[in-house]
Amino acid sequence: MNDVMLDVVSLGAGYGEVQVLWDVSLRVSRGRVTTLVGANGAGKTTALRAIIGSISPRSGHVVFGGADVTRLPAHAKVERGLVLVPEGRQLFNAMTVEENLEMGAFSRRAARQFAHHLDRVFALFPRLAERRRQLCGTLSGGEQQMLAIGRGLMSNPELLIIDEMSLGLAPVLVHQLFRALKTLKGDGLTILLVEQNVHLAFALSDHAYVIADGRVFTEGSPQALATRPEIRRAYLGL
Amino acid sequence: MFGIIASIIDGVLVGSVYGLAAMGLTLIWGVMDVVNLTHGSLIVAGMFALYLLTDATGLSPYAALPAIVVGGFAVGLFLYWIAVHRMIGRPPLMSLLSTFSVNLVLVGLGTAVWGTGLFNVPVSLPGLTLQRFTFPGTHILAAVLAGVLAGCLYAFLYGTRLGKAIRAVANNRGAAELVGIPTTRVLSFAFALGAALACVSGMLIATLFPFTVLSGDAYQLKSFVVIVLGGFGNPAGALFGGIALGLVEGLATPFMPVSWILVIEFGLFVAVLVARPGGVFALRRT
Repeated sequence: MNDVMLDVVSLGAGYGEVQVLWDVSLRVSRGRVTTLVGANGAGKTTALRAIIGSISPRSGHVVFGGADVTRLPAHAKVERGLVLVPEGRQLFNAMTVEENLEMGAFSRRAARQFAHHLDRVFALFPRLAERRRQLCGTLSGGEQQMLAIGRGLMSNPELLIIDEMSLGLAPVLVHQLFRALKTLKGDGLTILLVEQNVHLAFALSDHAYVIADGRVFTEGSPQALATRPEIRRAYLGL
Repeated sequence: MFGIIASIIDGVLVGSVYGLAAMGLTLIWGVMDVVNLTHGSLIVAGMFALYLLTDATGLSPYAALPAIVVGGFAVGLFLYWIAVHRMIGRPPLMSLLSTFSVNLVLVGLGTAVWGTGLFNVPVSLPGLTLQRFTFPGTHILAAVLAGVLAGCLYAFLYGTRLGKAIRAVANNRGAAELVGIPTTRVLSFAFALGAALACVSGMLIATLFPFTVLSGDAYQLKSFVVIVLGGFGNPAGALFGGIALGLVEGLATPFMPVSWILVIEFGLFVAVLVARPGGVFALRRT
């Protein structure tokens, strides 16, 4: 595989007494879109949390940009360009749209190019520019997801990880968000998706992993995976 | 009649200092869900810092303000790391007990060093006389300083990068970490800021009234009343809560013995908790 940006090696993780993830290894190549798919409760979100550092991995390594970042706290990973847009958006709902974006650019490397990134986010999601002074708690679900992605982009990511972007959104909004991701991919951004809308995710992705019962079940190009009937039925819901 | 109005005005002046004290308590509460029971000790620390500084240097008491801000901040950082840090994210009872214990240690140390006698910081400021009534200069200046400091806190929280980061951590700590905010450092900073506010308010109270090592409890309780009036975790509301409490004190003073004031205040406290658990001026918390 060409230039590897994120190399996850035999990652194990869990909560309290419960181990959720065993020996998960995956790679994300620079400039590509990679997708994790799998049934509910398979461990996709846990994998992302362990990668980003919200929970600490019990075993294995996370190598990002050639450096071992396994034990770094999440905020230090953002400083290196490893950015997660979390499931459920997790916005600062008592703050305005603009303040949320400003907080996205909190890290030193992002703060330097604040104005440039703000223009980029507003060009991508003009709705956010219109609502920049509003409290983000007053936004619709779709706008909140735009803001969550926009806030992630403000961090000047090398790798943008997006967890369940389309959850609970109307199809028209989901299409709009995927168009935005396509634009970002065209700009050369590396993206790791966890997505329940397998159709759209596969159309955008270069590589995919199927996660089942906390392990990597199989991997391959989306086109190849989508032709295997047992995978279609069991994991993709196609 | 004018005597009553004057009493109310004076109550409001003093109340704004209570508001400043409560700001420190409510800032910490709002940002990290910790009820800081060292609050009273910090107020007393501010009082004694003023006493010692003016006694040693002979300077005007108000010149001690910057030193007390810096000292209060440093003490706050220290307290955060020994008593609060490990309790973040745990059940509230844990931080309640740990700060309660530290408070007992601090009160014990204070009693050992200074005893429990009355102390007084002499301040000479000309008052403002209207008709037969003179408003003490110390009350007026304390209220002005409390207002200015409250304004500074507001400008800091809403206008600066670090201030906004504090609000972000208060709003959603997990998300703050994900955007690159070093949340632990921000929490320790917010705690130290709250401690500095408590010390400064103690310093201002010491310019108004005599005090003892044990004065902290009464002012800490007043801070709780103020917070309930002003809305939980809302520093801006705390100033209004303090003013409201001062108004009640000012209104009650001409009509009843001083010992009844506490009964009125805590009666109000219970009544507000029963009727409006979120506080009278509570912002809608999301």
